[in-house]
Amino acid sequence: MDVKAVPKKLGLKEKYRHLTRGLGWEPSYQTREALFPYAGYEGIRIHDWDRWEDPFRLTMDAYWKYQAEKERKFYAVIDAHAQNNGHLNITDARYLSALKIFLQAISPGEYAAHRGFARVGREFPGVGTQVACQMQAIDEIRHAQTQIHALSNYNRYYHGFHAFADARDRIWYTSVARSFFDDAMSAGPFEFMIAIGFSFEYVLTNLLFVPFMSGAAYNGDMATVTFGFSAQSDEARHMTLGLECIKFMLEQDPANVPIVQRWFDKWFWRGFRVLGLVSTMMDYMLPKRVMSWREAWEIYGVENGGALFADLARYGIRPPAGWEDAGKAIDHMSHQFMLGLYQWSFGTSFHSWIPSEEEMDWLAEKYPTTFERWYRPRWDHLRKLAAAGTPFKNFGLAKLCQCCQLPVVFTEPDDPTLSCHRELEYKQEKYHFCSDHCLRIFEDEAEKYVQAWLPMPQLFQAPLNGDVGAWMAWVGLKDGLDNGDFAGSPDQRNFEQWRRNATRNHREGEAQ
Amino acid sequence: MSVTARKPYIGVPRDSVANFNGRQIVYVSWDHHLLFASPFLICIEPQASFRELLQGPIAALIQADPDAAAIDWSMVEWLKSNRPWTPDPARSLSDNGIGHKDQIRFRTRGHNSLLPEASGTS
Amino acid sequence: MQIDLRTVTIEPVHQTFDHLARRFGDKPASRYQEGSYDLQAAENLHYRPTWDPDQALYDTGITRIVMADWHALKDPRQFYYNTYTVTRARQQDATEANFSFVESRGLVALLPPQLRTLALDLLVPLRHAAWGANQNNAFMCGYGYGVTFTQPCMYHAMDLLGIAQYLSRIGLLLGDTAALDAGKRAWMASPVWQPLRRYVEDSMAVRDPFELFVAQNVALDGLLYPLVYQRIVDDELASRGGSAVAMLTQFMSDWYEESSRWVDAVLKVAAAESGRNREVLAQWLDAWTRRAAAALLPVVAQALGPAADEIVAEQLAALAARTAKAGVAA
Repeated sequence: MDVKAVPKKLGLKEKYRHLTRGLGWEPSYQTREALFPYAGYEGIRIHDWDRWEDPFRLTMDAYWKYQAEKERKFYAVIDAHAQNNGHLNITDARYLSALKIFLQAISPGEYAAHRGFARVGREFPGVGTQVACQMQAIDEIRHAQTQIHALSNYNRYYHGFHAFADARDRIWYTSVARSFFDDAMSAGPFEFMIAIGFSFEYVLTNLLFVPFMSGAAYNGDMATVTFGFSAQSDEARHMTLGLECIKFMLEQDPANVPIVQRWFDKWFWRGFRVLGLVSTMMDYMLPKRVMSWREAWEIYGVENGGALFADLARYGIRPPAGWEDAGKAIDHMSHQFMLGLYQWSFGTSFHSWIPSEEEMDWLAEKYPTTFERWYRPRWDHLRKLAAAGTPFKNFGLAKLCQCCQLPVVFTEPDDPTLSCHRELEYKQEKYHFCSDHCLRIFEDEAEKYVQAWLPMPQLFQAPLNGDVGAWMAWVGLKDGLDNGDFAGSPDQRNFEQWRRNATRNHREGEAQ
Repeated sequence: MSVTARKPYIGVPRDSVANFNGRQIVYVSWDHHLLFASPFLICIEPQASFRELLQGPIAALIQADPDAAAIDWSMVEWLKSNRPWTPDPARSLSDNGIGHKDQIRFRTRGHNSLLPEASGTS
Repeated sequence: MQIDLRTVTIEPVHQTFDHLARRFGDKPASRYQEGSYDLQAAENLHYRPTWDPDQALYDTGITRIVMADWHALKDPRQFYYNTYTVTRARQQDATEANFSFVESRGLVALLPPQLRTLALDLLVPLRHAAWGANQNNAFMCGYGYGVTFTQPCMYHAMDLLGIAQYLSRIGLLLGDTAALDAGKRAWMASPVWQPLRRYVEDSMAVRDPFELFVAQNVALDGLLYPLVYQRIVDDELASRGGSAVAMLTQFMSDWYEESSRWVDAVLKVAAAESGRNREVLAQWLDAWTRRAAAALLPVVAQALGPAADEIVAEQLAALAARTAKAGVAA
C-alpha cells in the first residue's frame, strides 16, 4: 500500500490562504465584468487583488465558536437584567434619551451596514476582500439585533422606544443618519468601503463607542454596557478591515490617490456631522458625566486622527478638508444641538431639558472659552421662560442642510454670534447648507443630493400638508408621552415612583 | 462635477415649488439672535404681502427673544441670499422677488440681551 | 446604596414595539420577531444607486416574483444571529470531534487508496462550487427585499463558506496541498467539472435575487447535496470502507437537511402568493434543474460509473416531488 507521508503541518497564514483565496478562480464561461459588474466604474484601479492583506485570519469554524461564546454571555446578562428590573439601576430617566436616539437612528444604521457589506462582499472580485466584508456583514446584523434586544426591555417601561422602526423612515432627526447610510449604499463598492469601513469604523467609531459605553457604565445601564463590550472585538476587526482597505487602494495605483482623497474629505465631514449628536449626549444627556465632548475629541479625534494622518501622508493623503473647521466647532456644537433639541422637543421621540445650575457650572468649567460667554445667557433665559409658565417652543421648524440634513444650528467657524448661511442655485432650484463642506459635497455630486428627502419641507407636502397632528400619528409619536420637556414627563414620574417603591420595599425587607 | 455612475444619472428634486399646493417655503432668520436655534422654515402663499409675512409668522415666532418688542421695523436692514436688499412691505412676496426656498435675513442694531457682545453689530 | 430591585412589580407600559404589535398583536414579541421584521428601510429612500440608477436602494422590482408582503417569507428555523451562531458552534464542536477522531486514529491511512482518490476527486473541486454558492447567497442577502428573506441568505452564505473550508480541510487531510491544486485544475479544465463550473458562473451573472435563490438553493444544491453526500459519500463510500469520509462530511448532510426546511418554506410561501409567481417559479425551476442535473451527471458518473444516469434521474424525481409539495410543478 502506498502509504503517504504524514501531510506537513501548514502555518496558520498558509492554511488560511488555502481556506479562502484558494477558493476563487478566474471565470471563463462568463467575463469577469459580467460577474463583477460594479468593480470598475468608480475609477479605482486594482492591478493585483492578491496583494490584499487579510486583516484577520478567521475561518468560519473559529468564527462560530468565538461568536457563540460571546452571544451566550450577552443574552445571559440581558435576561438577568430584564428579570431583575435592571432598568431601575440607571442614574435617572433622563439618561434614556441617549438610548432612544441610539435605537431610532444608529441601530437601523447597523442594519444598513449589514446589507451594504453583503453587497460589497459579493461585488469585490477578490476572495480575501469578499470574505472579510461578508464577516462584517454578518457582524452588523448581530449589532442591530443585540441593540434591539438589549433596549427591548426599556421599551416595556418607558416611552420613546416603541416606534423606532417608523421613526427610522419618517421622523426628522433620523434622516441625518439614514441619509448618511443611504449615501454610502448608493455609492460604488470602493466608496462604500471608505465611507463605512474606513471613515465611520476607523476614524469615528471611537468617538461614538467609547463615550457611549462608558456613559452607559457610569449611569448604571448594564444592558447597553453589555452589548457594547460584546461588540468590541467585532469592532476591532472592522477597524482593521477599514484601514487595510484604504491602504490597499492607495498602494495599488497612484491614480487612486485623488479619488480616495475626495472620498476621505467627504466622508470625514459626513461622519463628523452624524456623530455630532454624541457631543450632546456627553455634555448634556448623561446624568453622570464621563468626560466632556471636548476631552473625548482631544483623545479620540486629535490624538488618534493625528497619528492616522501621519501614517497616510506617505501615500500622499492629507488630513480631511473639514478637519480644521471640525476643530473650531468642538467647543460649540453640543450647546448648539441641545438648545435646538430643547426648543423642538415637541417633535422628538425623546425628552430634552434645561440643564441645572450645577450642570451649567460643569459646562462652564469644561468649556471655559465658550459656555459662559455665548451659551449660558440663552439657557438662563429659557429657564426664566419655563419658570414663568411660558416654556419656549420653537414652532418655526428648522431649515435643514441639503447634504447632512441637520437643522442649520451652526455658526460661522470664526463667529459664534452669526448663523452659518450657505446656499447655491442648481437647475433653477435653491439649496441650503450648514457649512462650506456640505456645500462642496453637494457641488461634487449635485444630481445625487437634489434627491434628498428632507423631512421639514416634506411636512408641508402631500399627504400631510402641514398637519402636525397627522404628522405625529404618521411618525408614531405620542404627544405628551414620548416628546417634550423631561420635567413633568411620564418617564420621569414613573421612574421616580418605581425607584421609591423599590427602596421602600427594600427597607421593609431589612426590618423583617 | 457629474455623478460617477454606471448609467446616466439624473436626480429628481423632491422639494420643487409645485409640491406645495400653491404655497412656497421661505427661510427667515434674525442675525445674532441665536435663541432661535436655526433659521425658521415658513410655508406661505407667494401672494401674501411682505407685511403679512412680517406681522404674521415672523412676529409670532420671534416673540420669545427679549429684544423682539423693541424692534423698530423701519430701521431693520434686510438681506436676501446673503446680499443687502430692500423689501417693499406693501407688495407681495413674489413682487419682492422672494422665490421658493429663498433665505431672508434681518439685522437690528439695538441692544442684544442674550448675546451682549453682538450688540450694535450688523 | 444597593437596592434589591426584584422586589418591585411593575406593569409594563408597552408590550412590544409598534411595528410588531401591528403584525402580531399587542403582546410580547419573540427575539426572532424583534430581530427581523421591518428592520430594513422601506420609505423615503434618499438617493438612487450610482451602480444602477434605474433601481431604488431596496427594490422589490428587481425580481419577477411579486409579494404583497416580503416579510411573509419567514425562516421556520427562526434563526437570528444568536440562535444561528449557537447552533453552528454546537455543530462545529461535533465536526471538530469527527476530524480529530479521524486524524488521531489514523483512519486516513486505513482508507483504500482508490477510495481516497475517489473522495479527493469528488470533494475537493466542490469547494469551488461552494464558494460560488456563497457569493450567490451574499447577493440574495444584499439585493433581496425584506429581512425575513434576506437574513437567512447571509447565514446560508456563511454556511457555504464554512462548507468550502471543511472541504478544503478534507483535501488537506487526505492529500495535502497538492490535492487542493489538483482539485483546482480539475475544476478549471477537467471535462468532468466543466458543465458544473459553467452552471456556477452563469448563475453568478443572474441579478434577479429570487431567480438566483431558485437556481442555487433549490435546483443546484437540491440535487448536489443528496447526490454527493447521501448517495455517494454516505451510501457508496461508506459501504466500501470509507465511513471515515462520511464522518468528515456529516456537517454537510445535517446542514442540508436543516436548511432545506427554510428553502422549502420560502418556495412554498412565494408560490402560494399568486398564480403568476407559480408560473415564474416553475419556469425557472424547469430550466435550472434540467441544467443542474446535466451538470452533475459527469460528477456522479466519475464516482458511480454507469449507475449515475439512474441515480441522477431518481434524485431529479425526488426534487420534483419536493418542489411539488411546496406548490411548484416544474
